[in-house]
Amino acid sequence: MATTTAAVTLTSDLLSDNMSVSASTTCMKAGTTADGLDQMEYVLVEIPTGDEYDLIATTPTASKGSKLYVKNHSTDETYYIAITQNSQAIGRLYAGDWMFIPADFHDAAGDIAITSVGGTNKIEYALFHEGTVLSAT
Amino acid sequence: MATTCTISISSDVAPGFGGISESMTLTQAGTLVDIDSTTGFQRRKLSATAAVDLVTMASELIEPKDSVASKIFIRNIGDNKGNIDKSVGVTIGVKAEPIGKLYGGDWMMMPLTCIDADDLTATPATDDTVVLEFVMFYEEA
Repeated sequence: MATTTAAVTLTSDLLSDNMSVSASTTCMKAGTTADGLDQMEYVLVEIPTGDEYDLIATTPTASKGSKLYVKNHSTDETYYIAITQNSQAIGRLYAGDWMFIPADFHDAAGDIAITSVGGTNKIEYALFHEGTVLSAT
Repeated sequence: MATTCTISISSDVAPGFGGISESMTLTQAGTLVDIDSTTGFQRRKLSATAAVDLVTMASELIEPKDSVASKIFIRNIGDNKGNIDKSVGVTIGVKAEPIGKLYGGDWMMMPLTCIDADDLTATPATDDTVVLEFVMFYEEA
């Protein structure tokens, strides 16, 4: 079985008692307990300001177990990318921020789109999935 | 007053993929100042397939600032009795838009707008009990 593992450690001293959370998960295909995600895309791109761009060029099979990691490698703290899905604003990733989400890609409108603000943002993303709708030449 | 989050991804899907290991300090939008507010760590037990608000933005005791650098961490810990079913999940959404399904044991870290209309929703796939842990970090309005 292909094995992809994602681990996280979150710490914060905002509260009176320090918080520390650790978690790890093995990324499985949708609805299975013994079959791991077995395909991936891993890309580094520079996104200029101006237009909104689809981050994912080919749509992974909808409503499966896909996981998406995105990091903004910009170094100017005023730069960010605005993330939307199906025209719904999700949030912003400022310089140095990353996110890791399950990605539904419910249909062709469910792509993750990003808009670069402040200047050209350098974006790294890794998509782990279980199938892609390929475009015939 | 720092909040940090580190991710490590390893995978044997693609030969030569060296993995990902990154850390971020949660800061306020456009600055190097640490983020200053949190909901605190919470648990929500769900036992029905109806969609519920995990976070109702307009009901937060401290009003979050809109469209800045807010983030939320969510984890599906199963039924909280040691049973974690990786074949069943909870769909996490923003407003009416499904973002993706958190299967048993899965976690996510996602930015949020915190706009009042953009509530964070959770919709279990079955009526079996499932518990979500979550904590939101935000800027005070």
